[in-house]
Amino acid sequence: MEKDYILKVKGITKEFPGVRALDDVSFNIERGTIHALIGENGAGKSTLIKILGGIYHPNSGKIELNGEEREFHSPFEARKGGISLVHQEIKLSDPLTVAENMFLGNLMLKGKQVVDWKGMRRRAQEIVDDLGMDIDVNATVESLTVAKQQVVAIMQAINNNSKILVMDEPSAVLTDRELESMFRIVRQLREQGITIIYISHRLDEVFQLCDNVSVLRDGRHINTLPVADVTKTELINMMVGREMGLEYPKEVGNIGETILEVKNLNRGKYLKDISFKVRSGEVFGISGLVGAGRTELARAILGIDRIDSGEIYVRGKKVHYHTFAQAIDDGLGLIPEDRKLQGLVQMMSVKKNTTLVNLDRVIRRGVIKNTLEDEFSNEYTKKLNVVAPSMETEVQYLSGGNQQKVVIAKWLFQEAEILFLDEPTRGIDVGAKTEIYRLINQMVKEGRTVIMISSEMPEILGMCDRIMVMHEGRKMGELDVADATQEKIMALCV
Amino acid sequence: MSKQAVSLSDRKSYSATLSQVSKDYMSVIGIILLAIIFSIGSYVKNGQQYFMTVSNWKNILLQSSTVAVVALGQSIILLTGNFDLSLGRVVALTSSVGAILMKNVGMAPGLAILIMFAIGILMGSFNGFMTAYVGIPAFIATLGTQYISYGVAKLLTQATPIPNMPESIGWLGRGYALESTIGKIIPICVIIMLAVYIIAQFVTSKTKIGRNIYAVGGSSEAAFFSGINVKRYYFGTFVLAGILATFGGLILMSRLNSVAVTNGQNYEFDAVIGSIVGGISLAGGKGRVIGTMFGCIFLITLFNGFSQLGVDPFVQDVLKGVALVIAITLDVLRNKKRD
Repeated sequence: MEKDYILKVKGITKEFPGVRALDDVSFNIERGTIHALIGENGAGKSTLIKILGGIYHPNSGKIELNGEEREFHSPFEARKGGISLVHQEIKLSDPLTVAENMFLGNLMLKGKQVVDWKGMRRRAQEIVDDLGMDIDVNATVESLTVAKQQVVAIMQAINNNSKILVMDEPSAVLTDRELESMFRIVRQLREQGITIIYISHRLDEVFQLCDNVSVLRDGRHINTLPVADVTKTELINMMVGREMGLEYPKEVGNIGETILEVKNLNRGKYLKDISFKVRSGEVFGISGLVGAGRTELARAILGIDRIDSGEIYVRGKKVHYHTFAQAIDDGLGLIPEDRKLQGLVQMMSVKKNTTLVNLDRVIRRGVIKNTLEDEFSNEYTKKLNVVAPSMETEVQYLSGGNQQKVVIAKWLFQEAEILFLDEPTRGIDVGAKTEIYRLINQMVKEGRTVIMISSEMPEILGMCDRIMVMHEGRKMGELDVADATQEKIMALCV
Repeated sequence: MSKQAVSLSDRKSYSATLSQVSKDYMSVIGIILLAIIFSIGSYVKNGQQYFMTVSNWKNILLQSSTVAVVALGQSIILLTGNFDLSLGRVVALTSSVGAILMKNVGMAPGLAILIMFAIGILMGSFNGFMTAYVGIPAFIATLGTQYISYGVAKLLTQATPIPNMPESIGWLGRGYALESTIGKIIPICVIIMLAVYIIAQFVTSKTKIGRNIYAVGGSSEAAFFSGINVKRYYFGTFVLAGILATFGGLILMSRLNSVAVTNGQNYEFDAVIGSIVGGISLAGGKGRVIGTMFGCIFLITLFNGFSQLGVDPFVQDVLKGVALVIAITLDVLRNKKRD
């Protein structure tokens, strides 16, 4: 029997100068399903959804919506045609209210010119109630959490009578609990007959939520099949095009004496009486929900934020860093949460980013030696397997995974002994993730210490030796990885 | 795939080199074009060549030198992603103080010059402190300094020009190198201009301080998370600009052999035009400072040519505004990423 397809992608090809982002991609999407679209960074997912959303135009190929060939020249046309995008970075007007945002570009009118505010608020409230959400339609969008802003974007799409909702990595910015309620909403939309195209890096979500899945690789369509017919390993192999081996290739490091000790650390409402010890060569995990104070803890130890009280010992010596630079000089480092903004100077080259924290290594008599800098940056980026056209390429042109590898290269070049990694694999595709895990192995084998802050529980369980759980600025407990389970950590998290 | 990646990198580096070359030498090409246009213009208008003469080019370089020295400070501030509106008026303030001390108080020029620099450093420190440590946008802080400097300069001089500077500082603006052997060919102030730009180009491209300036301008956050003391760089660049403004003002008062509150007027904007034409980005973190020197020469050549052709000075102001907008438009287009 012929299935009921709402959308057919037929032979879409899209070229950018020097690269073919999509190469003859064809697949179909069934009406009323949640359809996952997966692939590594650079596989062409974003390009494809931008074509669906009317932002890009294909060089060749067609889109068939409800059996009818369609071509969208702007996001507005796509929306009128029934396709709405909920973007990675949500595009809402922050100072406007929830109700106003839901009707943006689609105002309800009394007569020809007068705006029907009352009617809009009522309709907005209906949609909110339908979804069972606790959102004040008169609140400004900027006053909402990121999770709720995302719901507003979804409601905007519902209000536009969208038949297809494209969600680009909605989970990247959500906590586990927020994710649950987002899943509930998405399933509810499916019940209402809306088709959802769901893009995510997290394969677990695909299995929890989606009906079908399409895999893209290097701009080509690899396969489309029901989620029930495939295993996670098979999906990963389709995405990377090779056998992957273990997802968490954990190897125990060269564990030595205590290298970092924190005693009764306090800072305002962020950190309350935190004490712990980390040994050299360990991977020490810090788990907890967003806002538990994990990043704040790293910042306090590294001299970025002032502390109210408490003691920090590095290699048995009491330290008190007043600036981050002092901590760096003492062999500490931080791979920050926001790789794009904090980790790298985007407009600088791979080479210059690599040497930035420890320029002194390439300086002779006050002058930067080009040959030395080339040599070192080549050595480190090769070691980390950074894929870049050249050392002179600005990092903004690299994929997320490669950017993260440059950040790591930078701290290895600094020869940091104690390295804090704050959400090191967020938004990075599976292949690059495993490479980063291998780098962590390598670091601890060399006797370096890794302190990993992560919201992804499997990663914490898979890569750490010991795990500290935090909640609202307090240490809730410490677990050896041998005894730790997801449930035990969750129980301490809340 | 690998084939694709290779061709991609080839093309990218080729176009990158091309755009880099055009950016670095845009102003030089501009100067050459202007020279050709104005030479022809001058000939057509006068039936004789007034533009393409040694003395006119000497004049252009003389005028360029003062604004270029001030513009260097502006360029370095632009590299960190800030902006200084006060530079032109700091020129007026420091030279007014200098003139009064030398002429009315009778202070030794050396001491008076030291005090001038102290005031330049003070104004720069104020700008830097407000911007880096108090957190006021540079635009506003330096606008305040602009008014303060101008106001104090007017108060001190009562808006009356002070003529005839001491002979001992005359060499700075009116002296020539090797005058006894080759005559009045190479002005000392042009050599000074070249010297400060060569030093600045070296420091910004070859030292840690320079690299960190680019990092701060490229992304202050990423610079911070690389252990760079971002605030200190903001502060330091404003102080340096104050010093260079004072220096430029000193050369100007020597060259004009007089001080008026209009000394240095609009230098801050001329400096911005010069910087951007020279390839410095208004958004920070990009461009080579040596380009600014050529950018300034370009600007002065433009107005010298207009004067030669007898364009009304008031119209010239209009054209300056147009030049500013064009320069900034070019910068914006240059930085726009191609989708």
